[in-house]
Amino acid sequence: MKRVTPYMLLAPALLFTVFILLYPMGQNLVNSFRDVSLVREGRGWSGLLNYEHVFGDAVFWLAFRNTAVYAVAGTSLALLVGLSLALVLDVNTGKMSSVAAGLYSIPWVISPVVAGFAWKWLLNDHFGILNYWLSSAGIARNGTSWLGNPHTALFCVMAARAWQFYPFAMVMFLAGLQSIPAEQYEAASVDGASSFRKFFHITIPNLRPVSSVLLLLGVIWSFNDFNMVFVMTRGGPINASMVLPVLVREYSFVHFDLGKGSALSVMIFALLVTLSFLYLRVLARRERA
Amino acid sequence: MRKTLLFIPLAVLALIILLPFLWTVSTSLKPLTEVNRYPPEWTSPSMSLKPYSDMFFYLPFSRYTLNSLIVASSATMLTLIVGSLAAFAFARFRFRGRKQFLLVLLLSQMLPGASVIIPLFQILKTAGLYDTHIGLILVHTAVLLPFVIWLLHGFFSGIPTEVEDAALIDGCSRLEALRRIILPLALPGLGATALFAFLGSWNEFFFALILTNSDATQTIPVGIGLFVGEFEDVWNQMSAAAVLFSIPPLILFMAMRRTFVRGIAAGALQ
Repeated sequence: MKRVTPYMLLAPALLFTVFILLYPMGQNLVNSFRDVSLVREGRGWSGLLNYEHVFGDAVFWLAFRNTAVYAVAGTSLALLVGLSLALVLDVNTGKMSSVAAGLYSIPWVISPVVAGFAWKWLLNDHFGILNYWLSSAGIARNGTSWLGNPHTALFCVMAARAWQFYPFAMVMFLAGLQSIPAEQYEAASVDGASSFRKFFHITIPNLRPVSSVLLLLGVIWSFNDFNMVFVMTRGGPINASMVLPVLVREYSFVHFDLGKGSALSVMIFALLVTLSFLYLRVLARRERA
Repeated sequence: MRKTLLFIPLAVLALIILLPFLWTVSTSLKPLTEVNRYPPEWTSPSMSLKPYSDMFFYLPFSRYTLNSLIVASSATMLTLIVGSLAAFAFARFRFRGRKQFLLVLLLSQMLPGASVIIPLFQILKTAGLYDTHIGLILVHTAVLLPFVIWLLHGFFSGIPTEVEDAALIDGCSRLEALRRIILPLALPGLGATALFAFLGSWNEFFFALILTNSDATQTIPVGIGLFVGEFEDVWNQMSAAAVLFSIPPLILFMAMRRTFVRGIAAGALQ
């Protein structure tokens, strides 16, 4: 009796994980080698044809490049903002910095759909406040459609995404800063080090492990991110801000080609497994250190 | 003196950071004539709460709100029940395959939604659960489970086994011990976990967008996400919906900030 108890306790959770996550995962792999359509009878096995279609699609390569830029540059931007704010908040003012930390975390709490909506409206070409300010300052012409312009759309979505992710980085950096032993700074002060030197020789090296975890997690999450691009641009104009998760929906539910959509999502999965593997290795190295 | 000197930059930073959200709040209070005016103004004398009632009248937001409440609260309850059983097993038993199970959970948390969505869509269609509350509740539960189990595991492990051993000696079964001893002691932890789960389901967009298709089941984020493309002439009502939708997460966040912060820090570092 005692032996089976833990398995019985685990059974419901395993059922969920297997039926809703793992089985679909396997089915997805099978789909990717078959001709499956939403609007007509499937034609059965098709070998690597779906993959060939994906690789032969110029939009895929564009989306691939966009996703990489979106994930890496967006995450770096968020890390930079998060670190700067963490340094500001680390100047201890008791209650005040705790309230400020709460306010600065709001972008992380609100739904990505709301965040995307708010940014889209802020950037509106005629009635958005940002355009008005930029045109008043003579930086841009009024009526500039930031999201409608293929050269700026991806950058805007990336900024919105960074806006949502930086509070996470900020909180983690703050925890990192507060765990640096005070003795290290005291010893440096005794040796007459300037605050500039202390920052580069104590603070930055101590934050390196947190930074690598954040960078990888941020890249993985952004790589998966469907919401911001879908809400703000739907991948447009003319696919200029298309990213891979949005393209999966496009293939599957707009072109009704489930096979091609599956092939693409298998490729996303493979990429993410590689990134997750890296992440686990970084974590393992942290634990040993 | 030092404090007031710091107050100003901290407050200015807050305003800059919250700019997109503040602009949405301002828009949500204006009549349409003021929304479509150049140059835009932050405030106007004709501001009112009217867009907040209009949106329930012109757009199906009362239905969406009901759907969101049904889905998020059911998914939270289901996740907590299933999750606490599993977390109890991990926290209190040594058994064969324990490590492997934990690894499967950890990995399923990394799973991209895009790589399960098509089969899920097919499965729910076949089972007659596509475009139903139940279908979405089951999917949300599965997606939330790994994180919930992992959080609860931490809370349960923090409870000393001695209390439980005493109960066992008094003739309680393991499950009774879970129900009578551990759950009450872990109540604060359970509360925090319930909040995480509720917010996760409440804010979830991708699965809800693809697995539902009618006003009767679509949740608020789907409503907002879809209308952004189509109803751009009613920015004030859309803003009102966005603001209203953000209130529950904001209140929960303010109430539980410490747990939240500890949760993220722990979640990513351990």
